[in-house]
Amino acid sequence: MFANAIAAERFRLLRDRGTLFWGFCFAPLVGFFLSVAGEVFLRNLAKKPLTGMPLDLVGQVMKALGDGASLFPALFLAIGAAAILAGDYRWETWRLLTPRNSRLHLLGAKLVVVGEAILWNLVLTIVLSLLASVIGASISGRSLTASASGAGLAQIAGVLAITWLEAMTLVSLAAVIAVVARSPMGAVVAVVVVRFAQSILAVGLQGLDPEPNWKTLAIPGYSADLLRGFVSAPNHAGLETGPVGVALIVLLAWTAVLATGAILLFQRQDLTRE
Amino acid sequence: MTIALEASGLVKTYGAVRAPDDLSLAIPAGGVFGVLGPNGAGKSTLFRIALGLVRPTSGTAQLFGAPAGDMAALRKVGAMIETPRYPPYLTARDTLTMLALESGVRNADIGGWLERVGLSQAADRPTNGFSVGMKQRLGLAAAFFTRPELVILDEPTSGMDPAGIQEIRALIVDLAQKEGVTVILASHQLDEVKRVCDRVVILSKGKIAAEGAVDTLTASQVRLRLVASPVAQVLAVLGDKGEADGPDAVLADISRTEAPALIKALVEAGVEITEARWREADLEGVYLKTLKTAGAA
Repeated sequence: MFANAIAAERFRLLRDRGTLFWGFCFAPLVGFFLSVAGEVFLRNLAKKPLTGMPLDLVGQVMKALGDGASLFPALFLAIGAAAILAGDYRWETWRLLTPRNSRLHLLGAKLVVVGEAILWNLVLTIVLSLLASVIGASISGRSLTASASGAGLAQIAGVLAITWLEAMTLVSLAAVIAVVARSPMGAVVAVVVVRFAQSILAVGLQGLDPEPNWKTLAIPGYSADLLRGFVSAPNHAGLETGPVGVALIVLLAWTAVLATGAILLFQRQDLTRE
Repeated sequence: MTIALEASGLVKTYGAVRAPDDLSLAIPAGGVFGVLGPNGAGKSTLFRIALGLVRPTSGTAQLFGAPAGDMAALRKVGAMIETPRYPPYLTARDTLTMLALESGVRNADIGGWLERVGLSQAADRPTNGFSVGMKQRLGLAAAFFTRPELVILDEPTSGMDPAGIQEIRALIVDLAQKEGVTVILASHQLDEVKRVCDRVVILSKGKIAAEGAVDTLTASQVRLRLVASPVAQVLAVLGDKGEADGPDAVLADISRTEAPALIKALVEAGVEITEARWREADLEGVYLKTLKTAGAA
C-alpha cells in the first residue's frame, strides 16, 4: 500500500514539469551559471590567464553542496515541496485520493518523493558544480586539482547526506504548514522565514558564545553547518565529537517530530473542502 | 442481506447547522439507491463521512460492515463527490493511471473506460482544459474503472448536455443490472432519479423525511382530482387539503376512505361534480410535498 502511494506520487511529480524545474532544477542551474559568470568576471578582471590559482574540484562540489539548503536554494526547494505537499489542497483533489489509500501512506509518500527529489537536486548540484569548474577553468586558464584538502568521495557523500537532512527539516516544516494552512504559499513563506530566522539567530547566538551550546545546536541550520565542518575535514582533526553527535540528533529529531506532527494532523483533518 | 452503507445516529455539526442530524439509514447492496434532498440536507456530508473524508461529530457510518474510512472496505468502493477536480497538469489517461497506481490496480482497462464515458478523443489532453461535463465523465470513469462493488455518485450528470445525461444514465443502469454494482446516487434531477433508482431516501435538514421504493412512494401519495363547479366552494369545503388545478379542477389531498364522504358533502353543498379521478403523484410531487411537510421547502 505504501509502495502504491509512492509510485503514484512519483508518477505525478514526473508529469509536473513546472514543479520539477522550478522546485528542483532551477537553483542548481543558477549556481552553475553564477559560477561560470564568476570565472568570466575574474578572467576579465585579471586580463590574463589565472594560472597561479588552481581550482579544487572536490572543494567546489562540497561548497556547492553545503549551500544546497541555504536561503536561496531553500526558497526553490520550498516551492517544489509545497507543490507536492499542498497541491491536493490547492486543486481540491484529496477527495480523489483519500478513499484509495490511507492518509498515513498518502502524506508519507509525499514526504518520500520530496526526499527523493531533493536527493536528485543535490546530485544535479554536484554534476553542475563539476561542469562549472571544468568550464570555468577553461575560461580563466586556471588548472584543475582533484582535491586540494585531501577530501574525497566519502566527504562529498557526508556533506550531501547532511545537506539532504537539513533540507528535510525544512520539508517537514512545510508539511506541517501545508496541512494546517491548506496552502502551498503558506508552506513556502513559512520555510523561507524560518530559514532566514535560523541564519540570523545562529549568527546572533554565536556572537554571544562562539562555542556550540544547546541554544545554537537547537537551530537546524547551525547544527548542519557544524556537521558539514566535521565531515569535510579529513580525519576530523581537532574537532570534538560531542556537539557533532548532538547536532545530528537535533537534525533527525526536528525532521521526525515535524513529519510525525504533519501526519497526525492530516489523519485527523476534516476534508469538507480541501 | 448485505448492507452496503449504514448510518447509525449520525451527526455532523457545522457551527449551528447539523446535517446529518441523528441520521440512521441502511442501504442494502444491489440496485440503484437515490439520496434526495435540498442543498444542505446532508447528502454530500453523509458520503464524505462514509468515505473517511470527514469525521462525524457523533454516531457511526459503516461500509460493508466496516467503520467509515476502513481501507479494506474502501477498496470495494468507487466514488465521485461533487464536481470532480484533477491535478491540472495530468491528462485524462494520466489521471486514471495515477489513481490505478494509488489503488494498487495493475490491470485496469483505462483506455476502455475512457471510451465508455466518451473521452477517448480527449484521453491525452490535460484536464485543465476540460469542460464541467468532461470532468464529470472522467469522474465517472475514475469511480468505476477499478471494478468496485459499490459506487457513490454525487450529482453525476451535473453540467452535462442532454445526450450526455442519457449516456451516463444508461451506463449506471447497465452497471447495476448487468454487473451487479450497487450504486448510491445523489441528484437534484428527479427525472433522472425516477428513471434509474429502485429506492430513494429524501433528506430534509439532516433527517430522513421519507424513504422507500420509488413506486411505493408515488403510489402512497395519490390525490383526488375533481372537475367541479364552483371551484371556490370545493376549496372552501376542503380547506388546506385542497389545491386548485386549473380554472375548473381541484386536487384533494385525502385518503381513499375519505372520498365518499367528501363527494357527498360537496353534492349536498350544491357543487356540480363532472369528473372524479385518483391521480398518482410523480416523484417531484412526492419530493416537494415531503419537504413541505418537513418544513424545508
